[in-house]
Amino acid sequence: MLRPESHQPLFKAKSARKGIETIGVPILFSLGIFAVWEMIIMAFNIPAYLLPPPSMIFVEIGTNFGSLMGHMGLTMLEATGGYAMGNAMGFGLAILFAHSKYVEKGLYPYAIALKTTPIIAMAPLLVLWLGTGFESKVATAALICFFPIIVNTVKGLHSVDSDAIDLFRSYRANRFQIFTKLSLPMALPYIFSALKIATGLSVVGAVVGEFVGANEGIGYVILVSSYHLETVTMFAAIIVSAVGGITFFAAISLLEKKIIYWQKGIETA
Amino acid sequence: MSTLVQVKELSKRFGKLVVYEELNFSVQDGEFVSIIGPSGCGKTTLLRILGGLIQPSSGYVQIRERPVKTALAARELGFVFQNPVLLPWRTAEQNVALPLEIVGSKTQASTPRELLKIVGLEGFETALPKELSGGMAQRVAIARALAFKPAILFMDEPFGALDEITRNRMNIELLRIWKEERASISSIIFVTHSIPEAVFMSDRVIVLSTRPTRIEETLTVDLPRPRTASTKNSDRYIKHVEHLRKVIGEY
Repeated sequence: MLRPESHQPLFKAKSARKGIETIGVPILFSLGIFAVWEMIIMAFNIPAYLLPPPSMIFVEIGTNFGSLMGHMGLTMLEATGGYAMGNAMGFGLAILFAHSKYVEKGLYPYAIALKTTPIIAMAPLLVLWLGTGFESKVATAALICFFPIIVNTVKGLHSVDSDAIDLFRSYRANRFQIFTKLSLPMALPYIFSALKIATGLSVVGAVVGEFVGANEGIGYVILVSSYHLETVTMFAAIIVSAVGGITFFAAISLLEKKIIYWQKGIETA
Repeated sequence: MSTLVQVKELSKRFGKLVVYEELNFSVQDGEFVSIIGPSGCGKTTLLRILGGLIQPSSGYVQIRERPVKTALAARELGFVFQNPVLLPWRTAEQNVALPLEIVGSKTQASTPRELLKIVGLEGFETALPKELSGGMAQRVAIARALAFKPAILFMDEPFGALDEITRNRMNIELLRIWKEERASISSIIFVTHSIPEAVFMSDRVIVLSTRPTRIEETLTVDLPRPRTASTKNSDRYIKHVEHLRKVIGEY
């Protein structure tokens, strides 16, 4: 009566083409934008210290590739370190929130206060406490990642359908089983949306930390080149930092698709 | 026939809001009983109280002369809700396996694969919920409810979200499953807001009034089984449906 329809391979060819589209189209657009940028500078004779042409920036990236990568590598290390710490701590706190109304009521205002205080206002304090080295940047990155993961994890854990809870109660499942087999997987889409937001934020946190006090890292390069009016270097560093952030985001997105393969609207590649 | 479910002086209040006042009724072994009533009369809450998922404010529910909690603990009660609540990361087979997994029972009567076959989903073992239609998802939910071979199946508007053609087909399917699994599933208690569905499926229809909820009427449906599509053409079926419409006040 019911036939096993081809529920597996239907989308294979489509998703391959989609992959090319999601990577190819943005690259084509960027090439277009760079071309227009280059032409505008030639047409209006804009001096390089105000706005350098893309060709100059890419030559700069090419010649200083090793040094830029060294600085960016350090910044990414700070960002990912802070990312891991901030998210782990936020996730742990969120689980505590979800299981105790009192803890949530008591600590939530502090979480919001932390969120509304600009990270740039706290960075000098962190540098004062932790020094101008690696640790203060990890701390700023961790701090900035902290809020999204708390809010989203709590929201995700509360998003569980009451019928599903009833179903688990009808099996007399204990709290631990309800958490691991139901609430936590249900919260994963929310958690991943926080993890994705936090990729970019963690790079911001690390760069802000470097602005306040550092002698290496991509933020340091940007700051120093601005003092010396080396706009080409500055642009090169900005682009490198952007590529770092985008790569981080793409990696977490890929992980999301692997882990939340079951979500509607996400095609299994 | 002996009494399977006994409801005595059941009341439920939420604060000052009285939902029921002293409901009394019983369900016999082998009976298909539908509960019907205007929306907001607390059908869903009543079903959950009968199944031991919600505590009544006073009065009690007994299953085979024991407290409902005991029957729930003994895995004698199965549940199907309007939303099939399949876990989207589990395949059909893994969803059916969920209750066995939680209980860690080694004395399982049927494998998840066999249960899927009972509900007509052979070949869909590895399908994810997002790949299933509404009717198929509800079949998986029924298979999962059969995992412990429950004596009573509690169903809360199980086909309420389906289109009419699928709903009619699922009605006949459910009656077939019930017949085939009669050795274990003695009775089905079925909440619906569809009068034709209630008449078609049931041996008895309990009609609830608006709040504060009382039992407005209990209708015995004397239609022969097995019920088929042609049952709906019979004069007695039409008469019952019309009668219930009058009682509920659809006219």
